[in-house]
Amino acid sequence: MDEGQLNILIADDNQSDRMILSAIVKKMGHQVCEAADGLEAIEQYTNQSPDIILLDVLMPNMNGQQAAIEIKQLAGEDMVPIIFLTSLQDASDLAACLESGGDDFLSKPYNKVILQAKINAFSRMLKMHNTLQEQRDVIRENNEHMRHEQQVARAVYDNVAHSGCLDLPNIKYLLSPFSIFNGDVLLAARRPSGSVHILLGDFTGHGLPAAIGAMPLAEIFYGMTAKGFLMSDILREINAKLKNILPVGYFCCTCMVNLSFRRQQIEVWMGGLPDFALYREASGIVEHIKSKHLPLGVLSSSAFNPETQEFSFKPGDKFYMWSDGIIESRDESGELFGEERLFSIFNGKNPDLFFDNILDSMDTFAGESGRDDDTTLLELSMVNESVVGTVDIDLSSGAITGPTDWHLSYTLRDDTLKTFNPLPMMLNILNDVPSLRSISGQLYTLMAELFSNAFEHGVLGLDSSLKSSADGFAEYYKQRETAMKMMKDDFVKFEFDLAPSQDGGTLTIVVEDSGDGFDHKRINGQKEINLAYCGRGIPLIYSLCDSLTYHGNGNKVEVRLSWDAQIEE
Amino acid sequence: MPCLDMAQIQELKDIMEDAFDDLVITYLHDCEQKLSSLDLAIKDSESNKIAELAHSIKGASSNICATDLAELCKKVEDSGRADELAKVPEYYHQILEEFQQVKLQLSEART
Repeated sequence: MDEGQLNILIADDNQSDRMILSAIVKKMGHQVCEAADGLEAIEQYTNQSPDIILLDVLMPNMNGQQAAIEIKQLAGEDMVPIIFLTSLQDASDLAACLESGGDDFLSKPYNKVILQAKINAFSRMLKMHNTLQEQRDVIRENNEHMRHEQQVARAVYDNVAHSGCLDLPNIKYLLSPFSIFNGDVLLAARRPSGSVHILLGDFTGHGLPAAIGAMPLAEIFYGMTAKGFLMSDILREINAKLKNILPVGYFCCTCMVNLSFRRQQIEVWMGGLPDFALYREASGIVEHIKSKHLPLGVLSSSAFNPETQEFSFKPGDKFYMWSDGIIESRDESGELFGEERLFSIFNGKNPDLFFDNILDSMDTFAGESGRDDDTTLLELSMVNESVVGTVDIDLSSGAITGPTDWHLSYTLRDDTLKTFNPLPMMLNILNDVPSLRSISGQLYTLMAELFSNAFEHGVLGLDSSLKSSADGFAEYYKQRETAMKMMKDDFVKFEFDLAPSQDGGTLTIVVEDSGDGFDHKRINGQKEINLAYCGRGIPLIYSLCDSLTYHGNGNKVEVRLSWDAQIEE
Repeated sequence: MPCLDMAQIQELKDIMEDAFDDLVITYLHDCEQKLSSLDLAIKDSESNKIAELAHSIKGASSNICATDLAELCKKVEDSGRADELAKVPEYYHQILEEFQQVKLQLSEART
């Protein structure tokens, strides 16, 4: 069909009328199909799908108005202009034609010029309608494509920014996504030492832009936490990454918590978030924990401050964190839920119900008008470590067989000792040995004790008994600072030796320091340890390895771990 | 007195070209059939049928430029709709006479 050529249906019971119309329309260059009554008109519409219909009003079998109603119904979203052919004069008859779906009239006797003008006008309208429909279809298709892409991206996102160990029995949480992606991030992971890292992040904006920032954040959080890095190292790394990749004006309000079961304390870093709540079971008092920093992704690495706040965290104590979506939810009159209303919930009698009470009270408050931001809420409770169980180290990464027979010597000298934490790096090397991966947590604790003994007590000569009182703690750190400044030609040397045996292997770790040593003779070889030596963590070390021997004047210690093949399974 | 608008006939011939003869033959044949149906309907005093047929002849006649014939048909159509058939036989006679004239002049317009 030529450009602009239309297929026009002429429905009229007078054959001579059809002939005249047909001649006019054909002269305009259009195609014609004909019908002699309403039923035929519908049939022709179905078979020929004409672009425009010229429809006589009074016809036998089925009149034009009835035919118009049926044709418009069949046409659905397609546009089919219907021009009624009529010599009717009565206004209400003409109105009835339009109501039945007619778009225009042509009165008898037919006027060639007027008919041509009308056909041209509808032809333009048809073209416009078709363009609109095509564009609508393109938009629909694009939209579908985008939704599909988002679903795939969502799957990738969920794999990267998964919820980690949020299912621990001492964590309750709610993450309610505002769109397909959530501007809030909630991550939790166990460190090799057994403590828990939790991170709540609230990115500026929603959806894709927020989700994109969350991916490297989660990657760094999980990667570094599993390798035993400290909170400050992880925060520094995330901040640098976000600063680097986020556009100006985009950042991530963040709270990161390290919960230590053994020390019964939480360490908190907060930037750009509203006050959080720390509930003390013993006193029933709720403390406001405030943000002391700017959000992540704002400051350069050199200006960034990873300093944390420490709070004792006894069994029964609870820490609450939330995104501003909770405080900023509104009721029907537009009033904010607000911090005061939120904190008043902690005046309740039963702490076990706080979490549910917050949710209930928010739902009651906001009602249907509801939540205009992402709402995230998390409750962290202190429990005995046995309740949460041991750390489940991911065995799926790394080489399958791993190195089985090697020796490594690693000496840390003054400047390195002052600033660098060697544990993650050493643990990483040991984790390449499949048999050791399953006891990664114990190894971390073991090496942390050995390193702290060698450095703090050996090299710096600090007295651990100071730490038994609160004042002593401060004094201890003061002495530590001073001693670090005095360091000269000091070192801590790690030697690892891994030797295979028939059914398993043996790991020997020798740690030597440049300090003066101590009187080790009294404890060597005996498993019952005098409490006075607890500061050196010796009972703990004993419990983790097969043998522990001091050499020389006590500045060299050797521990040995053996295993047989069954451990690997 | 001419019963066809000859200026319009010329225009119609321009539109129809070779098909003009066919158009005339079709119109006349169609009209004769409808006129005899109309005759029957008048005899049976079927008002609706009278109006319908008169309407149809009116439309076709106006398109073929037989203005006077269309006028007469309109009178019959109106009477049929109003269900006042008293004058209809008289109109019908006038229609038949007019139709003979139209037929004659249309035949002349051919060739």
